[in-house]
Amino acid sequence: MNTRKAKIQVKDLSKHFGELVVLSHMNFDIYDGEFLCVVGPTGCGKTTFCNVVTRLLPSTDGSVTVEDEPVNFKKHNIAFVFQEPSCLPWRTVWDNVKIGLEIKGYSKKDIKDKVSEVLELTGLTKFKDFFPNQISAGMKQRVAIARSFVTEPDMLLMDEPFGQLDTSTRFHIESSLVKLWERKKQTIIFVTHNLEEAVYMSERILVCTPKPTTIKKEVQVGHLPHPRDITDPEFVRIRREVTDLVRWW
Amino acid sequence: MDKRTNQLKTVAYNLLSVAIVALLWTMFAAWQNSPYFPSPAEIWKAFVGLATKGDIEGVSLSAHIWASLVRIFAGFVAACVLGIPLGLAMGLWPKLYNRTRAILEPIRFIPPIAWIPMAIVLLVGFGRYVFLIWLGAFFPIFITTLLSVTRVNPVHVNVAKVFGAKRSYIIRKIVIPSVLPDIATGMRVGLGIAWMCIVAAEMIGGEMVGIGRLILKYAELLRMGEIIVGMLVIGIIGFIMNEIFIMVENRLFRWRSEVSID
Repeated sequence: MNTRKAKIQVKDLSKHFGELVVLSHMNFDIYDGEFLCVVGPTGCGKTTFCNVVTRLLPSTDGSVTVEDEPVNFKKHNIAFVFQEPSCLPWRTVWDNVKIGLEIKGYSKKDIKDKVSEVLELTGLTKFKDFFPNQISAGMKQRVAIARSFVTEPDMLLMDEPFGQLDTSTRFHIESSLVKLWERKKQTIIFVTHNLEEAVYMSERILVCTPKPTTIKKEVQVGHLPHPRDITDPEFVRIRREVTDLVRWW
Repeated sequence: MDKRTNQLKTVAYNLLSVAIVALLWTMFAAWQNSPYFPSPAEIWKAFVGLATKGDIEGVSLSAHIWASLVRIFAGFVAACVLGIPLGLAMGLWPKLYNRTRAILEPIRFIPPIAWIPMAIVLLVGFGRYVFLIWLGAFFPIFITTLLSVTRVNPVHVNVAKVFGAKRSYIIRKIVIPSVLPDIATGMRVGLGIAWMCIVAAEMIGGEMVGIGRLILKYAELLRMGEIIVGMLVIGIIGFIMNEIFIMVENRLFRWRSEVSID
């Protein structure tokens, strides 16, 4: 039995677009400081799931609560790493990272301290004065991650953020993300279709069905220590288990 | 090749192309041997005459240029002051545009030149020219601003939204920086149309100064050298203004990706 406190509760969440049912009666809790992965096939509605959870899109039924209150951008500290490139091209790396703090009204000193720290953690200090068009795709995603971590969010949603990166860059950023999470212990919902990525990073995996998307099974991964060895027998077993769940779609 | 060498090479090629055109022109003028096709040397002579002695009424070339520039500036600024905020407002509140498009769109298709008789009857002096330039420059600026707002990347808006940004922040810090390059393009197009309008307006407008008027004065005398001077002055001033605009754009929007098909 899990004794951790549920920070985010998703109850009976459904989303329809006219006749099309995209999300159907999804129920799960996310614990404080947990790294949760949601896996599902491409086109199953993962982005819709993220948008509905953050209320960028209204749900048709059900609720999402953070500490028993409906999600509210102004009240709750939420961050989102989008699937598509989301750096603001007219802002430097530094200005991109600070935007959340700027919106939340932090003092100049706090902004300077926090942005410096997160740039250091993500290895972007040298590039702080660069514009997004001057850095690589992998670095842009690191900027997006730094921007989301800097506000120390209650809920951090990541929608297939590494989908457009090559294997080595992806592996490097995944390791950086895990290190960052271990230090900051943010509550993360990481959405992906990459099963190995899910097993490599998360504490728990929710396996989704194709449309209408619902939770098929929960797989625990938290007992594997970080950094994880992808050839470790337990790692391989879990990956096989998740793959088998996927295979039966 | 470094940037500086590349720039020098571009300037050299441009000077070379000007020299080639001038040479071909000289040869063609010599072959034509007609008072209606002056050579570059004759045009230069006409330019020197206009610049030092003035036109047939004693109005100097600089006075003509100044009169046109002031009119252009006033009309263009008026077009920007009205076109940019109105385009932004209608882009942000599309209902405003949808409910007034039956008025706006038909006016857009009326060429500014068609308004000249009305401007002559209803307005006087300076206001007449400013109105026509405003009319010509307003729509490119207004339409590009309006369309650029609808093309703002929704992900950029969502980035601010999830952090709890207010609408005013999203407009100031996301929408406006996103649309500025498009507005600048609209302004450049508007400036080109402003020049077309001012020349047409000055030809008919009744006042004796302005480059359009200068061209018309010499057209009545069939003196092609001075007419071509007037035309070239418009082209060169327009070119300089455009280059200044591009330099400012490159400086302000240096964050934009440079696209090359080399």
